[in-house]
Amino acid sequence: MQIRNAKDFWSGILFASFGAFFLVFARDYDMGKAARMGPAFFPTVLGGLLMLLGAIVAARGLTARSNDGRIDRFQFKPLALVLGAVVAFGLLLQPAGLLFALAALVIISSFGSDEFRLRDVLLLTIFLAGLVLVVFIYGLAMTVPVLPGFLRD
Amino acid sequence: MDLVDNLALGFSTALTLANLAYAFAGVVIGTLIGVLPGIGPVATLAMLLPTTYALEPTSALIMLAGIYYGAQYGGSTTAILVNLPGESSSVVTCIDGYQMARRGRAGSALAVAALGSFFAGTVGTLVLAALAGPMVELAFKFGPAEYFSLMVLGLIGAVVLASGSLVKAIAMIVLGLLLGLVGTDVNSGVARFSFDIPELTDGIGFVGVAMGVFGFAEIIANLEQKGARQVFTDRVGRLLPNRKEFAYAIPAVLRGTGLGCLLGVLPGGGALLSSFAAYTLEKKITRNPDPPFGQGNVRGVAAPESANNAGAQTSFIPMLTLGIPPNAVMALMVGAMTIHNIQPGPQVMTSNPSLFWGLIASMWIGNLMLVVLNLPLIGIWVQLLKVPYRLLYPAILVFCCIGVYSINNNSFDVTMTALFGALGYLFYKLGCEPAPLILGFILGPMMEENLRRAMLLSRGDATVFFTRPLSLILLLMAVALVVIVALPQIGRKREEAFQDSE
Repeated sequence: MQIRNAKDFWSGILFASFGAFFLVFARDYDMGKAARMGPAFFPTVLGGLLMLLGAIVAARGLTARSNDGRIDRFQFKPLALVLGAVVAFGLLLQPAGLLFALAALVIISSFGSDEFRLRDVLLLTIFLAGLVLVVFIYGLAMTVPVLPGFLRD
Repeated sequence: MDLVDNLALGFSTALTLANLAYAFAGVVIGTLIGVLPGIGPVATLAMLLPTTYALEPTSALIMLAGIYYGAQYGGSTTAILVNLPGESSSVVTCIDGYQMARRGRAGSALAVAALGSFFAGTVGTLVLAALAGPMVELAFKFGPAEYFSLMVLGLIGAVVLASGSLVKAIAMIVLGLLLGLVGTDVNSGVARFSFDIPELTDGIGFVGVAMGVFGFAEIIANLEQKGARQVFTDRVGRLLPNRKEFAYAIPAVLRGTGLGCLLGVLPGGGALLSSFAAYTLEKKITRNPDPPFGQGNVRGVAAPESANNAGAQTSFIPMLTLGIPPNAVMALMVGAMTIHNIQPGPQVMTSNPSLFWGLIASMWIGNLMLVVLNLPLIGIWVQLLKVPYRLLYPAILVFCCIGVYSINNNSFDVTMTALFGALGYLFYKLGCEPAPLILGFILGPMMEENLRRAMLLSRGDATVFFTRPLSLILLLMAVALVVIVALPQIGRKREEAFQDSE
């Protein structure tokens, strides 16, 4: 067996796995009857349907006539840096406060670009910190710690 | 005279200082993101949803709507001057618009696009106002079985008319439906698929899914692509089209508007589909075009730009009257309503008339603002195209993260969004369109609810969906759509239509 359309094949596998996941965990709940459906009914039907659709898509990936469904290389650098920056923001927000979380977000995510320039990034951080303070903290009165824990009273 | 009364109520709501200000904010943001390539209205609406939490619901919806149709105006600017679609609905505008710019007619192309959009927006708003009443009346005849069938039709329509593989799109819908079911089941109180994570018992946040799958994935994808672009920013030239261009553009605007109004109402319709269809139509009916299409024919700008704006307006019809979103942007509008505790559906018009008509009236006012923003002030937007992306995207991320956090004041939501960003990137690599996922996600709980209610009322008899005439008609329409697209010849035509633009 040869994978002819990799995009289709792997999307099929992805769909089928999601379908199986919901199908299996829906078994923990009550199916109910047709007139009084339990919480498991709809997810079970949909999970089964998704597995079926996934199988069709994957099968088409194996039997496609052309070989044009190649998957472009994953570029892990921007992926990891952008999403890592977001996670860092989430983790830092409560303990370290908005300003530090924002700086971490801007600086880490900026490394994701090929044209990283330290001076510009620092200026951008300061600009955004000012903007966020004015708009969200003073303007919209958002309740979020601004400063790190040890500096709060 | 009902319509006049209703519009009067609408204008009195929309013309308050605060609502004018929010409409203005919406269209400015819309133009801004329309001009900037690589950030679309879906991602922007997702990012701004949480910030509207503090606003009046009417103001919030007026602003969010402004972003959507504002983006249609801004998108054409980038398409004409840079040959990059600022918005996906401006893809076809690139073809002839950029060629006009190369011939020194950039100003005229921009003017045709803006004026055509304004005309189409006006007509679209009127159609919306006129059709809203009858649609709501029809909607009140709907029981749970009809609603369920309507959602099936809506979801099928959304994938049939969109580009790409049909089976994959349906699979994305089903996955969206399933993700929408995570959380406490309203009927039994069971927390489904929450795995003892307390945050998940309320369900996965809609904003996080939309922002991750569209916003973050889009940013990462943009960072991968590099390429120089030639910008015609210094030579916009005279704005007024010449007589020949006027003569060509006016009928094209009329046709584009008509087609856009029609396609906007359809499930799966909206700005994107309308612009494609309008361009194809112009190409079909114009004999001996001079200059040929693809070399700067003004019709190729006038028709799709009018159509996308008309479609953007009329796609509000199913969302406002039935509570069924025909596309991803409208799904976000439904999300915005639920954030403000407004149950979308036919009762919105009767229970919140000032919101309903105020929103409609604000669209016309917003369109008027957009003409001013986009013609005399075009120079400002052109400058924006010079801001490098490496400075833009960290700023976008900051607003996203603060936005997600502020919904529940919870960092868990931020992490969740990152997770969906990774999933969105995977979808992008695998060539899976994310828009159907969002539609499914919004409709999942509604569909289950109506299915259960319909089955309860029929005492477990599933034939109820086929014996009630309205429900049967809706289901037959859905089947017809699938059959039509599955037919080989039409399937090929559909692919051609979408490839024309590339």
